[in-house]
Amino acid sequence: MRLSTLLTLPAALLPLIYAKEQHSYTEHLHLKPLPDNSLYAGFTFTSTTPYTAYASNHFRYFPRSLAQILQYTHTAELHLRFALGRWDEESWGSRPRRGSREGGNGVELWAWMDADAEEGWSDLVNSLSGLFCASLNFVDSGKTTRPVLSFEPEGTLEELQETRNGTGELRLLHGMLPHEVVCTENLTPFLKLLPCKGKAGISSLLDGHKLFDANWQTMAVDVRPICSTGGDCILEIQQTVDMVLDIERSMRPRESPIPRPLPIKDITCDETKGYNGHDTCYPEGPGGEMGWSLSSVFGRPIRGSCALGGGEEEEGFDITLKVPSERTVEVISETAIPQSTSSGSRAYRLPKDANFDLDLPHQALESSSSGAFALEQPPLYASRQLTGHGAERGGMHTLLRNPHPYAQRIVYLESLPWFLRPYMHTLELSGAGGKMEKMFYTPLLDRQRGTHLELLIEIQPRSTVEITYDFEKAILRYTEYPPDANRGFDIPAAVIRVLPNNATQDQGQGRDYYLRTTSLLLPLPTPDFSMPYNVIILTSTVIALGFGSIFNLLVRSFVLVEEVPVGALAGVVWRLKDGVARVRGMLKGGGVGKEDDGGGVVKKGEVVVGGEVRKVNGGGGGGGKKDT
Amino acid sequence: MKTLNSVWAFLALASIACAAHTSNWAVLVSTSRFWFNYRHLANTLSLYRTVKRLGIPDSQILLLLPDDMACNPRNAFSGTVYSNADRRMDLYGENVEVDYRGYEVTVENFIRLLTDRWEEGVPASKRLQTDEGSNILIYMTGHGGSEFLKFQDSEEISSWDLADAFSQMREKKRYNEMLFMIDTCQANTLYRQFYAPGVIATGSSEEDESSYSHHADNDVGVAVIDRWTYYVLEFLETQVTGPTSDKTLGDLFDSYDVGKIHSNPGVRWDLFPGGEQAGRSRRVVDFFGNVQNVEVQGNQTGVESLKEDLQGLKRLVQDYQAFAAAQESNKTEMSDVVQRRNLEAVSSGKIRQKQRHTVGKLQLSENAQWARQVAGATVLSGLAALWYFAPKLM
Repeated sequence: MRLSTLLTLPAALLPLIYAKEQHSYTEHLHLKPLPDNSLYAGFTFTSTTPYTAYASNHFRYFPRSLAQILQYTHTAELHLRFALGRWDEESWGSRPRRGSREGGNGVELWAWMDADAEEGWSDLVNSLSGLFCASLNFVDSGKTTRPVLSFEPEGTLEELQETRNGTGELRLLHGMLPHEVVCTENLTPFLKLLPCKGKAGISSLLDGHKLFDANWQTMAVDVRPICSTGGDCILEIQQTVDMVLDIERSMRPRESPIPRPLPIKDITCDETKGYNGHDTCYPEGPGGEMGWSLSSVFGRPIRGSCALGGGEEEEGFDITLKVPSERTVEVISETAIPQSTSSGSRAYRLPKDANFDLDLPHQALESSSSGAFALEQPPLYASRQLTGHGAERGGMHTLLRNPHPYAQRIVYLESLPWFLRPYMHTLELSGAGGKMEKMFYTPLLDRQRGTHLELLIEIQPRSTVEITYDFEKAILRYTEYPPDANRGFDIPAAVIRVLPNNATQDQGQGRDYYLRTTSLLLPLPTPDFSMPYNVIILTSTVIALGFGSIFNLLVRSFVLVEEVPVGALAGVVWRLKDGVARVRGMLKGGGVGKEDDGGGVVKKGEVVVGGEVRKVNGGGGGGGKKDT
Repeated sequence: MKTLNSVWAFLALASIACAAHTSNWAVLVSTSRFWFNYRHLANTLSLYRTVKRLGIPDSQILLLLPDDMACNPRNAFSGTVYSNADRRMDLYGENVEVDYRGYEVTVENFIRLLTDRWEEGVPASKRLQTDEGSNILIYMTGHGGSEFLKFQDSEEISSWDLADAFSQMREKKRYNEMLFMIDTCQANTLYRQFYAPGVIATGSSEEDESSYSHHADNDVGVAVIDRWTYYVLEFLETQVTGPTSDKTLGDLFDSYDVGKIHSNPGVRWDLFPGGEQAGRSRRVVDFFGNVQNVEVQGNQTGVESLKEDLQGLKRLVQDYQAFAAAQESNKTEMSDVVQRRNLEAVSSGKIRQKQRHTVGKLQLSENAQWARQVAGATVLSGLAALWYFAPKLM
């Protein structure tokens, strides 16, 4: 069974759950080793509550803190994502859950809310920022868009509005924060929303040290109403954590995660390399499948189970491991574990009060690597880059490739910040394989809202489409730069929705496939923030030197020595100095000084210092001027 | 009606009678961004772990971290922040709640947080919801200078801003007592301008002195802790071992060793009611822990304590009866009683105010500053006179 169809099973069984009991909680862990010694782990936690209990504030498994936020902001359906890393489609194939639980790098949030509640969106982002320790409050009007085609509600919103005698329409709002850091402080409140609070069941594996070291990870919170035809509604919250871990890196011990090279005698060398010698060695991997266990990869075994009832635990399994049939899997637990094996997957149920661990030893598989993993080819490959150079303008370039023999229709959504000003007249779909059917475009308003661009594109079979347009970069005001302005500004990821079509429905995939490109880093013209200081210093120096000199030249008058009037105090000082000099001259040698000063006659503007007559006041440098 | 009035009277009496603190809050601020300022975040996180260990819950701690070190791509130890090269204690751990992060740590947000002046919609976990019985610990660290502290390398907060914010908090009765700790260069200048009563302030270095980092970790690659914070933490970890510890602030400040810290830490007592003596007798867990106002009378027997309680109750009952009688005869109103009580409190407070002017350590430096100002003015006026009169003499 394919990865995606396996994951759709819990959702398909939901009506059954609902029929049995309305307060319910189920959890499931899906493990799948990927090529290149990676491991995909998908945790799903689902709680439901009847709408009547929700409205009257009786909560059993549904988290109260989140429910109060939804009630206060009149939110009908909520989707919140925290994401890191990049899904490598070439190596890992199709995205898990058909990309429906994936978000753009950073934080992504979209919700259907009552259109009447004006402040609802800002209240929602503020409350969620307090609950999840993320700076979601930065999602303001400049980062919010109203997508038209990209998202469909997962819940039954129309029936919900009828049962609640809804006041009006629901509007969809979507915001992204690409530069938001996702770390343990986001995982802590996420785990606290669960009934078992990360202490028992599969949630006991979740550890910030391993989760945020993954190659790709997403944490998602999805709340949706499900109404049956009879008018009974339940509210379902699904929390998912998906990650792709590098097995070798995750198994490094916490105390010394930095890999140190082994002594050369312990390394197996690749003999086929030409430079192989006694001191040069190209390490050859051990080959085959790496040995790993849950406790070594996640740092701890699973503690007990969180079977709270309401689901079909009596028949269901908590853990599914997708490995080829020949792979050896050892179950390590104190009690007997009910399990089931089918081709390509094993399923286990967790014991109530005992630890549970899975150990897969190192093994060389006989079937070829691609066959062993049975990777599903994704519907579409997409990548996006910034082009151009310089600080004034650039270009956006998106590459979409359809590898399948049938045509695909996609919706391409871009939400750009206001300082990236696209020129829509330069928007081009190059390549014979693409045709733009519809375009929804909301132009930007400086500092108020960003660009919202949605394109409905049809891509021909086995062809590539390139979307390009030019843009201009704005110059921000001095106060609008963040503290680390020279890093650049993040552009949110583009959301691509691959619409289901008739060809794919035959193969059992009747739903949308979502994928997101990477976020981009845009370098904007940034001022040199040290310049104000430099300018002040430079200007002050120039003024001091230039102004001072010119002022002196203008104000000072040069006069001859004889014209200088002598003040009383100055005269006394000079007489004293004259006396001292004469005494000194007499002490030095009899009448030597007489030839210089003419027997001590001192004019009014002069003083005799050490046998030389010097001018006293201003007017050029010292230099003795002999005068008689 | 009679019981309702007596209840109001009791509440009024109770609120005026008890001056001890009823809750503990902590505001821990790191103001530096970028990987090479790892140690400032480690400082703040060490204090965070300490106050959590001593009992303050996450809902009463406001943690402001401007950058992310734990999940930083440059961090070889993912998800971990260490404040010691032996790497035995992971400060980030598995249970951390950061209230303000990234670009949210700004001077404006910090002052709004202190004074509780917010727009609508700000969630409760981001507010400092203290009342007049709360003791607050404020710890700030980062890069600073003479009377300013740099926030994220792009803006500054000055000592006057802090002083005004604290006095606003006093006006709004948002704290009972406050301990202000700061670890930056020239830290003691930051609390020079405080004028709100009830604040004990301590800093890591004097004016024109730098505060230094303690040591670096070769695998993390940067310095991991600052000296003053390291030695404060050493005292807290070895001496204040639990929420019931009896160590006092005097013990903490006496443990400062200039030879180890390599700068002159200072303490300011003069704003605290009772001055240095009262301040030194305050317990460390009054600010770092979450100690409720419960006293266990160990020496008295049960009968004696009961007698004391009965006498207290008797006094209260007499007061109620007098008040009720007065109320019935329409002679006094509730506000008059409250006013009378307030006047009594103020008059006793005035007596305490006079005792507050003790000469603290900071006085000397203040005088020195005075002297410097006078000397500078003298020199300037002398030069001006010289410039003016010299041509006349020539």
